[in-house]
Order: sequence, then C-alpha cells, then structure tokens
Amino acid sequence: MTNPRTGLLAKLGIRPNEIALVIAIVTIIGVTLGADTNRSYWFQWDTNSIEIGRQTALLGIFALGAMMVIVSGGIDLSSGSMIAFSGTVIACSMIYLQYGPLGNYLFPTVVDAAGKSVRTDMASAGIFVQSLVVIVSIAMGLTSGFFVGTLHAWLITSVRLPPFVATLSTLVGLRSMARILCEYTTSTYQSSKKAQVNIDHPFFTWLRDSKHVYLWVAVFLVLATLTWLILSRTVLGRHIYALGGNEQAAKLSGIRTDRLKWFAYVFGAMTASLASVFYLANEGVCAPVNQGRGHELNAIAAAVVGGCSLQGGIGTVTGTILGALFLRIVIDSVSKIIKSGADIWEGLIVGIVVVLAVTFSQLQQLRGSGRRLFPGALGVCAMITLSLFAGLIAMSTWGEKQAAITVVTVLVGLFVYGLTEKQKARG
Amino acid sequence: MADPIVSLRKIGKTFPGVRALSDVSFDIAQGELHAICGENGAGKSTLMKILSGVISDYDGELFVSSQLAQFRGTRDAESASISIIHQELNLVEQLSVAANIFLGRELRSSLGLRSDREMELAAKKLLEDLETDIDPRALAGSLRVGDQQLVEIAKALSLKSQILIMDEPTSALTESEVARLYRVIAKLRERGATILYISHKMDEVFQLSNRITVLRDGCFIRTLETAETNASEITKWMVGRELDSLELSERSAPSEIILEVKNLSLVWPGHARGYRLKDIRFHLRRGEVLGIAGLMGAGRTELMECLFGASEQPVQGAMLLEGKPYSPSHPMDACQAGIALVTEDRKRLGIFPAMNVGQNISICSLKDTIRAGLLSRSLEQDASSSMVSKLQVKTAGLESSITSLSGGNQQKCIVGRWLLTQPKILLLDDPTRGVDVGAKSELYRLINKLCQDGLGVIVTSSELPELLTLSDRILVLSEGRMTAEFRREDATQEKIMHAATQGWQ
Repeated sequence: MTNPRTGLLAKLGIRPNEIALVIAIVTIIGVTLGADTNRSYWFQWDTNSIEIGRQTALLGIFALGAMMVIVSGGIDLSSGSMIAFSGTVIACSMIYLQYGPLGNYLFPTVVDAAGKSVRTDMASAGIFVQSLVVIVSIAMGLTSGFFVGTLHAWLITSVRLPPFVATLSTLVGLRSMARILCEYTTSTYQSSKKAQVNIDHPFFTWLRDSKHVYLWVAVFLVLATLTWLILSRTVLGRHIYALGGNEQAAKLSGIRTDRLKWFAYVFGAMTASLASVFYLANEGVCAPVNQGRGHELNAIAAAVVGGCSLQGGIGTVTGTILGALFLRIVIDSVSKIIKSGADIWEGLIVGIVVVLAVTFSQLQQLRGSGRRLFPGALGVCAMITLSLFAGLIAMSTWGEKQAAITVVTVLVGLFVYGLTEKQKARG
Repeated sequence: MADPIVSLRKIGKTFPGVRALSDVSFDIAQGELHAICGENGAGKSTLMKILSGVISDYDGELFVSSQLAQFRGTRDAESASISIIHQELNLVEQLSVAANIFLGRELRSSLGLRSDREMELAAKKLLEDLETDIDPRALAGSLRVGDQQLVEIAKALSLKSQILIMDEPTSALTESEVARLYRVIAKLRERGATILYISHKMDEVFQLSNRITVLRDGCFIRTLETAETNASEITKWMVGRELDSLELSERSAPSEIILEVKNLSLVWPGHARGYRLKDIRFHLRRGEVLGIAGLMGAGRTELMECLFGASEQPVQGAMLLEGKPYSPSHPMDACQAGIALVTEDRKRLGIFPAMNVGQNISICSLKDTIRAGLLSRSLEQDASSSMVSKLQVKTAGLESSITSLSGGNQQKCIVGRWLLTQPKILLLDDPTRGVDVGAKSELYRLINKLCQDGLGVIVTSSELPELLTLSDRILVLSEGRMTAEFRREDATQEKIMHAATQGWQ
C-alpha cells in the first residue's frame, strides 16, 4: 500500500484493504444467516466452523507460499501439481517402507494364532514403526518441495526463463511425474499398477478426524507467524520486498537477488508439500490425477484478494490469511444458500471475487483518471457478456423465465450506467 | 534563399520541473542538410520530437511549407512528409523487414487481405535504392544495427518523406557503414530531400552540413553557415553556459591513493566498436573529487558500473583498492569493499517505490540494525532519521511514501542510504539529474563535506559547470576512450567539450 496510513489502525499495522476484508467476511456471514433457510450457521455453528477452519488451513498453507513468491516479484503456477507430486512422494515412500527391501525388518512376518505366517500390517506395526514411516515419508515429501523450488529458481535465474514459463512447465510436468511415480511404485512393490493409492496409515486417519482440526489450524497459524516473522522482522524479508519492488535497484544495493529468488521459490514449493500432507488426510487417498488440480489459482487468488500486487513488492501475511478465509467463506456460504455442492460454484466464485477485489482497489484510480469503465463497442459487448452470465446463473437457480428478466434488467442497468459515464466524460 | 520548408516560431516546451525548450525560432531551407548541435540536455531531442509529432502539446508555432502544422501524432507528421530516424531504432524485432517498413500502412490485395508478397517486392525495391541487399523477409531483430538503420530509412522513403530527421545516426555504425550512410544521404539530397542531422561529432557535421544550428539549455543560440565557421567556434557556442556562483569551502589537499584503475576495458558484443570502454586508467585519492565528463554514450555510466561490479560483461584490466587487488563480480562485493554507487536513473535503479522513506534509507545497512537475529525497528528508525536530519531531507516523516518526495529529496535519501554503509569511495552517477537548483547546491555542499571527511568521490555529470564546481580533477571520455585529463585550474568548458567531441585517433 503506497498511500500513507494514519491513525490508530496504522499504528497497529492494519491496512485499509484488510479492514475491508474483515467487513466483507462479517457481511457474508450475516447474509448467509438470513438467506440460508436451514439457519445452518446458527444451529450447526460448530461443525461449520470446523469445516471452514479445515478448508481455510488447507488453502492458506500454500497461499502463504504463493504470497511469498508474488511479493518477491515472481509467480508460482505449479503449487497444485506440487501438492499432487509431494502427496505421491509421501504415499510411495510409505509403500516403499512397507513393501520394499526395508519392509522385511520394519514389518516382520509373524506366526498368528491360527499357526499361519503373516506379515505385520500397518495397523499392528506398533507406534514406533508407524511414526518412523510417517516421519520419513513426510520428510521425503518436504524434500521433494525443496528440490522443485530449487529447480524453479535455477530455471528462472540461470536459464533465465520467465517465472510464468518455468512454473507453467512444472505445473504440467509434475503432475505427469506424480502419475508415473505412482504407477511405478504400485506395480513394483504392490500387486498391480494403480492410478491412486488409499491412505490407510493411522496418522492420516487420526488427522482426518474432525476432533483434530485444531492441529490443521495450528499448523497454518504457526506457518503464518513464521512467514510474518520472516517478512516483517528479518533482513531477508525486507530484501524480498525490495526485490519485488524494484529488482534492478535491489541488485544495485548489493542484494544477492538470485539467492532471494531461490528462497522464495523453495518456500513456495515446500508450503505446497506441507499442504499435501493435509490433502492426503482430507481426501484419504493419494490421487495424482486430480489432487489439488487448479488449486494453485485459488492460492494466487487468496493472495491477490488479500492485497498482494502481482507486480511484486506489495503483500502481507494478514492480508493473505484474510483472503484465504474470505474465499472459503464465500464458497461455503453459496453452498449453504443454494444447498447444492459447492464444488460446481467454486471456480465461478473465485473468479468473481478476484475481479471484484482487484476492481475495488483500483476503482478510485479509475475514477480519478477520468477513464470510462465501458468505452465504445468494447464496453457494449462487455455489458452484454456480463448480463448473459447473470442470466445463466439466474437460470440455474430460479428458472428460465426469471433468467430472461435478469438478462434484460442487468443489461438496462449497465446501459444506463454507461450512458451517465459517457455524459460525465463529455462534461 | 528560397522559402524555408520548416519554420519554427517561439517553440517552447516544459516538462514537470524542467524547461526543456524556450522561444526557439529558426528556419530550415528546402533541400539543405541542417545540423543541430548542443550539449546533453540542450533540447535537441525534444525539438525533434515536436517536429516529428511525438510531442503534440508545446508552445509556439510550427510551419511546414508555409502552412501552420499542428501534429497530433507521428501519423500527422508523416502525412506532412516528415519522418524521424530515432537514435534507438523503432523496429518490431519479431517482424520481417518488409512488415516493418509497411507497419501501420500494410498493402492489401484486391480481396482486402494483407499482401505480404506485394510488400516484399516494394521493400526490395526500396532497399535496392539504398544499395543494400538486405532480405525483406529477414526478421528485423536478426539484422545488424547499421542495417536496421537502413530499414528505417527505407521506411521513411516509402512514406515519400521530404524532410528526414536523423538523430545521431552514426553512433552505432562501423566505418564502412558510415561511408555507406554518407552515400545514401548524398542520394537522398540529390532527390531534393531536406535532412535535419543531430550529431555530437564535429567532423561529421562539418563534412555533411550546409548550416549548423546550436542549442543550449533549451534556447536557440544561433545558426551558422558551415563554410564560414569552424569546430572550435561551434564548441564555444555549445558550452557558453554560466558557471554556478556557488562558493565551496576549501578542502585540504587530497592524501594517499585509495583506488587505482589500470587498463580497464569492457567489451561490447555485437557492436561495431567492439568495446564500451577501452584502456581506461586513473587513480583516486582520499579526500578528492574526481569528475568524469563525456557526452551521452561516452561510457560514463558503464565505467561506474565496472567499478561497482554491476556490468553485464566481465571487466578486463586491473583495479587496486587501497593497494589490494579488487575485482567485484556483484554489487555486493563492492559494498563489502566499501564502495557505494548512487545510480543515474533514480526512478528505475534507485528508489523502491512501494517502501517508505525510512525503509528506502536503511535498505543497504540492515545488518547493522539486527538485535537478537531480528530487525530492530528502533535501531532502524534511529539510523534512518540520523540521515534525514544530517542531509536535511524534507519529508513529513519516515513513514511517508518515497514517491511523495521531490527529486532532490529522493536523491538525498539514496545518498543517505549509502552513507549508512560507511563507504570509502562514493560513486555519484549524474547525481543532480532532475534535481531543482536549491537541492543542487545542497548536494554540492554535501559532496564537499564528505570529501573533507576523507571520502574519495567520483562524480559524473551531464553539466560541465557542475563538474568544474565540484571536481579536483576531470577525466574526459569520448566513445569509450579517455581523451583528456585536466586539473581543475586548467579545465575550461571549451577544452572539455573539445576532448569530448573528438573521436579517437
């Protein structure tokens, strides 16, 4: 935020867009309380809080990574695939430890009560072996994040690819790699080739239990605190803001910008690895085909809604947390109100929210510059597009006749706005 | 003399904070080659931008062929038969030569589709006229600079322009390319074209032009017949700028040598000259201000970058810092060795626009403000505010946005940023560019004071009076070579300008 902050809020380090987000969140909860006929937020506030907490932590963990990369002036498009890749590394590590060469020692064959010799399974392996397996596997997942982040930094600083291209290639490449790894491991160490692996390790079932959601939120908040500490209170963090704000000037100030980028991209990839642990727990399965697919955009959206500038140099941890929370609450609220699966609506909501949030922050500038929102033929076509989309939404929720009315109403409304705008531009 | 083809009447132009041109009036005769000379910042480029329609809001009147011209864009100027060949060529590198020549005026076939073939044939004909065999299908970006320039000329020819503006056309050409350009110019003049020729190089100006107009500080000085004048007279008119009457307090005599540069060279791959800097040698003493003079493109900024470890190519030659070998490969090495650089382009290379004043000042010395591994806000604020008060930065507070400050105060913040690192050598690359007069003299006093404190200062400037005011010694660069060195007592603007405009023999 470049405009000077004043007053008490400024002293506390709270930015205007963060206040706006808090107000928006409260408003949406209020609207949902009124519009939802089941009054779900009132009667099942506990289960709802747990669900929103879980979802926000799930998104927020790697949204913090996305924010770090964006503040440094880059972009990481690969985090969704990184989640799938790291999840697969974790799942395959567990398979390897159980069925690979080490498996004979960790899971010895014993003679059971009926006199048959059977291999120990995960459930009966004992707490030591169970912990060993899960700790080693998660460490492997995080290590994979370190290496992918390093690859990004190398592609960007040494090969000099634009960040968009470098992470676009890993966005498609990593998911493929995850599927290859999954098929190889299952066909080599298990009976048959599988496209996905069930996660039956007791740690993940324990983590999935809604009683332990506090742990999800706690991990998220600890990571957020750590990120805040790095960005606000260390030299490294200040240098990252400098790098994102003006890379040339940062370099000429004697800052090793290449190393900073290395840190930022490793941070981005490793937070995605950390998130993959919770994805495995949440879904109970490692599915490289579609786990986390497209979620990189939700993370970027959370950061942008939270006030990050895609030009780099601007962005805060608080904003990103609020951005993630806001996105999850909007998605949840729509599913409460229309009472059908939120997954269909998720993309649309994220899209609208991002456009509105960014437009909102630039509206003042737009008005000040005297530019029109709907200029000429482009403006007219944009009006038609917007009203048709509104009609499509109305059709799916109310009916076809109402949809027609919606299209006409929105179109007339926008048209009137366009006319006044034109008048103002002339006058 | 026939009626002038272009008449300028009281042309003026003001940029925020700078008066670039005022009351410029002169005529350009039909068919002549009219050279425009002036120092950096004399207003040559601004004037050419007005003539070619790039700048459309200015004071005064412009007549082309006796008619009042009001260009709203380059299109208007082109239709009035004026074309400009910019110093930085304006080609779309990813498009073919033919596509570039007809950009915006693409030829169409009878069906209304774009006709590449027709354009290629037309382009080929234009290029043959210019005695080159450039392939019209080649990508513009794959051509050498000299050939790219010919493509620009072909473009102007395709517009059937009668008035051609050339902005330092030989700055990137080899000798044979220069000779070819001269032949092309001769051919154009045979056809009756009028040429406005901007150049720093006196030999060119005298070889080509009929008349020479001198600008200084945005003002018209005079127009001279080339046959009736000589290079030293032109130089004299170019530099007639007043010396600032600022009295700086006496400095003690410079003491021991702190930096020694021997045979420093910097290659320039893909350029006709082959080098940006060649065999530069000098030394700097503690408590001394060394000025570096040179026109645009002489290599001043490149030299600063070499000293600071910020150059793109590896630097050849040897540098000794306090007697020890010094070869920085990254600005960080320079910082650690105690060298600081205040960059030329403050906005692009200096300030962090999203950060506040305090953060902009402390960015280079954050390691001194760590307490228990974390940044200490109070230590940081102490450091920043010490500089704000020492350098008298006019700001509402450390929390103000850096972009809300004036150019001079932004510059002070950047100087403060580097003083916090306690450097031994301060490099100032055109430190007063875009800085108003009051802040300028404050900066001069500051530089003087730093010198008294024992710093070695190297300063470059586009303004000769500034260098004459500040420096103990002045080096002159011309086309990447060191052409002269003066002690302050011996230096005059004429001598410096003479050394800066002469080529390397």
